[in-house]
Amino acid sequence: MTERTVNLVAAALGGEGGGVFTNWLADVAELEGWFCQTTALAGVAQRTGATIYYLEFFPRSSRHDKIPVMSLFPAQGDIDIAVASEIAEAARMVQRGFVTADRTTLIASDHRVYSIDEKQGLGDSTADAEHLSEVAGRYSKEFIHYDMLKLANDHGAVISSVLLGAVAGSGVLPFSKSSFENVIRSSGKSVDVNLAAFEASAEKARLRGVEVFTPESKSLVEFKLPIAQTEKGRELLDQILTFPSVLYEVLYHGVSKCVDYQDHAYASWYLAQCESMYALENKTNGPVTMQVARYLALWMCYEDISRVAQLKTRLARVENIRREVKAAPNQILHITEFFSPRIEEMCAIMPKVIGDRILKSSFAKAVLKLFTGGKKLRTDGVFVFVLLRILASFRVVRRSSLGYEYEHKMIHRWLSSVMNALAKKDSVRALALARCGRLVKGYGETRHRTTSQLMDIVDKGASLPSERIESLKYAALDDDTGEGLAKMFDSVA
Amino acid sequence: MAERSFEHEVQKLKYSHGEIFRGEGILAVTKALLQSGVSYVSGYQGSPISHLMDVLNDAQGILGELGAHFEASGSEATAAAMLSASINYPLRGAVTWKSTVGTNVASDALSNVASSGVTGGAMVIVGEDYGEGSSIMQERTYAFAMKAQMWLLDPRPNLTSIVDMVEKGFQLSEASNTPIFYMMRIRSCHVTGEFIARDNVSPSYSNAKPVTPNREAEKIILPPNVYEQEREKIAKRLPEAIEFIRKNKINEFFEGKFSQVGVIVPGGTYNTLIRALQRQGLSDVYGNSDIPIYVMNAVYPLVPDEIIKFCAEKSKVLLLEEGQPEYIEQGIHTILRRADVHTRLFGKDIMPMAGEYTGQVTLLGLARFLEQDSDGSIPIEMSSKEVSALQSTLSDDDHNSLLTSLPPRPSGLCTGCPERPLFSAIKQVQSELGPFHISSDIGCHSFATLAPFNLGNTIMGYGLSLASSSGIRHSLPHKAISIMGDGGFWHNGLSSGVTSAVFNKHDGILIIIDNGYSAATGGQDIPSFVDPNTIVATTIDADSAHRDDKQPIDEACRGAGVKWLRTVSTYSIEQMKNVLSEALQSSEPGLKVIIAEGECMLNRQRRIKPLLKQSIAGGKRTLRARFYVDEDTCNGDHACIRLSGCPSLTIKENPDPLREDPITYIDNSCVGCGVCGSNAHSAVLCPSFVRVDLVFNPSVIDRVVCNLREKAVSLFSTNSAENQL
Repeated sequence: MTERTVNLVAAALGGEGGGVFTNWLADVAELEGWFCQTTALAGVAQRTGATIYYLEFFPRSSRHDKIPVMSLFPAQGDIDIAVASEIAEAARMVQRGFVTADRTTLIASDHRVYSIDEKQGLGDSTADAEHLSEVAGRYSKEFIHYDMLKLANDHGAVISSVLLGAVAGSGVLPFSKSSFENVIRSSGKSVDVNLAAFEASAEKARLRGVEVFTPESKSLVEFKLPIAQTEKGRELLDQILTFPSVLYEVLYHGVSKCVDYQDHAYASWYLAQCESMYALENKTNGPVTMQVARYLALWMCYEDISRVAQLKTRLARVENIRREVKAAPNQILHITEFFSPRIEEMCAIMPKVIGDRILKSSFAKAVLKLFTGGKKLRTDGVFVFVLLRILASFRVVRRSSLGYEYEHKMIHRWLSSVMNALAKKDSVRALALARCGRLVKGYGETRHRTTSQLMDIVDKGASLPSERIESLKYAALDDDTGEGLAKMFDSVA
Repeated sequence: MAERSFEHEVQKLKYSHGEIFRGEGILAVTKALLQSGVSYVSGYQGSPISHLMDVLNDAQGILGELGAHFEASGSEATAAAMLSASINYPLRGAVTWKSTVGTNVASDALSNVASSGVTGGAMVIVGEDYGEGSSIMQERTYAFAMKAQMWLLDPRPNLTSIVDMVEKGFQLSEASNTPIFYMMRIRSCHVTGEFIARDNVSPSYSNAKPVTPNREAEKIILPPNVYEQEREKIAKRLPEAIEFIRKNKINEFFEGKFSQVGVIVPGGTYNTLIRALQRQGLSDVYGNSDIPIYVMNAVYPLVPDEIIKFCAEKSKVLLLEEGQPEYIEQGIHTILRRADVHTRLFGKDIMPMAGEYTGQVTLLGLARFLEQDSDGSIPIEMSSKEVSALQSTLSDDDHNSLLTSLPPRPSGLCTGCPERPLFSAIKQVQSELGPFHISSDIGCHSFATLAPFNLGNTIMGYGLSLASSSGIRHSLPHKAISIMGDGGFWHNGLSSGVTSAVFNKHDGILIIIDNGYSAATGGQDIPSFVDPNTIVATTIDADSAHRDDKQPIDEACRGAGVKWLRTVSTYSIEQMKNVLSEALQSSEPGLKVIIAEGECMLNRQRRIKPLLKQSIAGGKRTLRARFYVDEDTCNGDHACIRLSGCPSLTIKENPDPLREDPITYIDNSCVGCGVCGSNAHSAVLCPSFVRVDLVFNPSVIDRVVCNLREKAVSLFSTNSAENQL
């Protein structure tokens, strides 16, 4: 084979240190007596988009006039190493043709950095990372991938040092490990941690230690029903045992939530609904019951002011926060909540008679209005904490509250629609309607929108073919103005 | 203070004769300017030459020692006008900008200096923002070179050629009394390499050695001089330039054993051609090609003798000319026809008319060319069909699946950006009073036209948003809304926008985003200053670098006759919404200017981070804030993300086993600007946002209070769940 350059293309996202990574590689080449040419496409991509770096390597000759002509473009079919700091970017490398099966070693971190399109959806708009990884693997000569961000974080290092380790460990560039180490050392910044991360990564890559990639997927281990702590709890769990085992997990979580939210009787009512549903469904696996059990529990445990107050005053919560913000042991934290209660939410936790009257009285509303609007409350303070505990205790009168009646009326309409469909043996409709329970979520305006949309689907959907119900759900998830669903209704009307 | 500092690297600019200079293209160009003895340099930042401006800025000391004058021009027009220094005197000067947008802005002065002609070498270093990585509409600088009769250099992208061509460029400019364009392509601005340095040269005239004022009336661009100047361009300057290019071998001939064919290539794409030839087995890695190559380092003017010489004995020649229209191809055809040379010239007939000539495009073009009427005497390793297949190795199924599943990654505003809360506010006001037609502008705020804000209808140019609203304002259902950055305002928004609008009784709204820097191009200083504002949560602050000659935007507007003017901190979303609504519904006549203040977060963080570290290390009581989303109360509707798009505001798997939609999550890059909290308030979102202040070096009072609180709170706490299963 004729002499040629070794070519490396790297995609990094803004702030991931792609420039540092590139400079390190160039310095390693220099130490090894190689030419290294680097180019980058910064442009406006320097903010949040992906930046493409391109490097070519070639050994120096003893003759000074023998200088290679290096290309400034990564070209399809001409890449030896492709590096992606994130798995979707690895798939993009493949999509752009920079990865060829006979030549390219693809190095990628398994973690995800979500794009705005994935983040802003009303439901789950994330890409299927497992699929992207699988495709990327099939088209590369070698695919070296593991969670490099985690490895970096474990060592308290920057991801560039892990990427550099992966390149070193892949062995495509004939450079000695000590040259890589010397470059990290001479950078003079966080040398020890970066070296440690580099070593760990190089070793992983050298062993081609490809991990089985499970991107945050739920464990597939069979669910075992836990043991009850109380007598009443035991009764509930025994009741769960009368269902097929595939439903244990969802029912257990549903029951736990109801007990935590209200009491055992509430959970018992929940199970009764699931039982009637299962009886009507008459199918061993109970796919409709499964969906109903999931969304019914969530809906029954709607977040009113009492619930939020309950959740915000849990002691375990502070530990969560401490871990998340990386607080040192015993470091003092100030915790400020951003609440914006509306009159509707205040009335919702009051007994129905009072709540209704307040909503009709402009004077009472004016008084309550004084307590609405944006509030910043220090939950680490005694006054706010006690106030929240008092609000949390409103749950004892929840069953007679205005909000309870409002939510349960809708719950009944939804459950009846599913049951009606089951009674008519229309399992397609029943399943679709049950799945529409996913729509219900949020607070204030959002909750109003999502529940009304579900009620619309229940009512207006009754006259539509069963196959259309599912598409109504997707239309509702299209936008937060309700336009998508309205259009969908118009088009089928 | 710009985003990237070259303070360390500019020391290399002092290298003397024989030293090996290693670095980036922009540094090499700067060194070449010093080696050429420039007397003045200037320009306006913009990708891909933003960093060239930063290098020049950081090299001011070195420039000063030599006696060279530097200015950060107010616009490209300002920079171009500076070239007039070379009209009457043998002063060498160079200016730089992003092209073609900068060239368009500069065109008035540029045409005039081209007409007058120059005595000293005058060079415009254009960052040719064409192709992948570009941020503007796709046009070529070539057209301007032709219409104004300025010469255009496009050197081979290695540092030795880049440096040589700067020096020869000045000589060419002087030999033909013509200002010249020197083209830096996107990738060559940051290409690294090495060259052997020469000594820097002091300019012949400077502060210490002033010129003797010299009036040459015939060089003033008034009739009848202009007629003579046009004649001179063609009759004198053009032939002189061609002669200089020929004599000094600016263009290069490379022999090859297959002399029956050849490739003509602009210098800038030479390396791509060599790689393509190498992959076809027709060149080695050092560029020794089997196919003869004619490299045009000067792409305008064409040198007829050289082209005829190269083409005459060949049956076919390929021209690799990037972009459209195919000016060079037309020029070569004219030359060949006039000389009655019958060589078949291939160009845009087998190459793409639009778009960059990447490695793949060039390789494919070369294969196609060699396959034309081939007698098999030139073997190639890959047929055009095989090359086409390289474009994508994916099967149809995988191709389609990636097409649907791979999320695009558009640019967006940085974490904690002060512009985000402004657009959150506008989006909220729009949902009450909209929909809006918004005239947008150039700058970071251009990204508001993308997800998640989707605000803005047109972008007409730098500082032109207000001007561009003038034609539509009488036909809008609401008061016209224009958004402009502080950079755009000073670049020309004040004159073409504000002044004109006041004069024409424009009663629309102009929102000027005042972040204190030319942020989108890398945080360069601009005339106005923004005082560090107290934002919601970042709890340490300091004065920004002080400047005596502040040029405040509000005073400029008032001076231009604006009566209705409000200044609002962008982070005050509620107040911003109120001011916007007031402006939209006001019956007061005249332009309404809202100055939306908030310091660029990138710059702010660069200033604050060391202070924060220092404060903590020094044992001072310090608070650092960041935000947190309560995973128990977040439902995963992501309304907060649709109002923000902050990179630190992301998602993660829902910890609730019953819920399926991911919940919002704030990662550790959060700078605590507080926008998510303010949005939760002003848009009445969920109760999940929490601000956490970490207290470093707590005082005794902190400790006592914290202790008491914890004890009191524990009295009222219950276990994790009131009821147990």
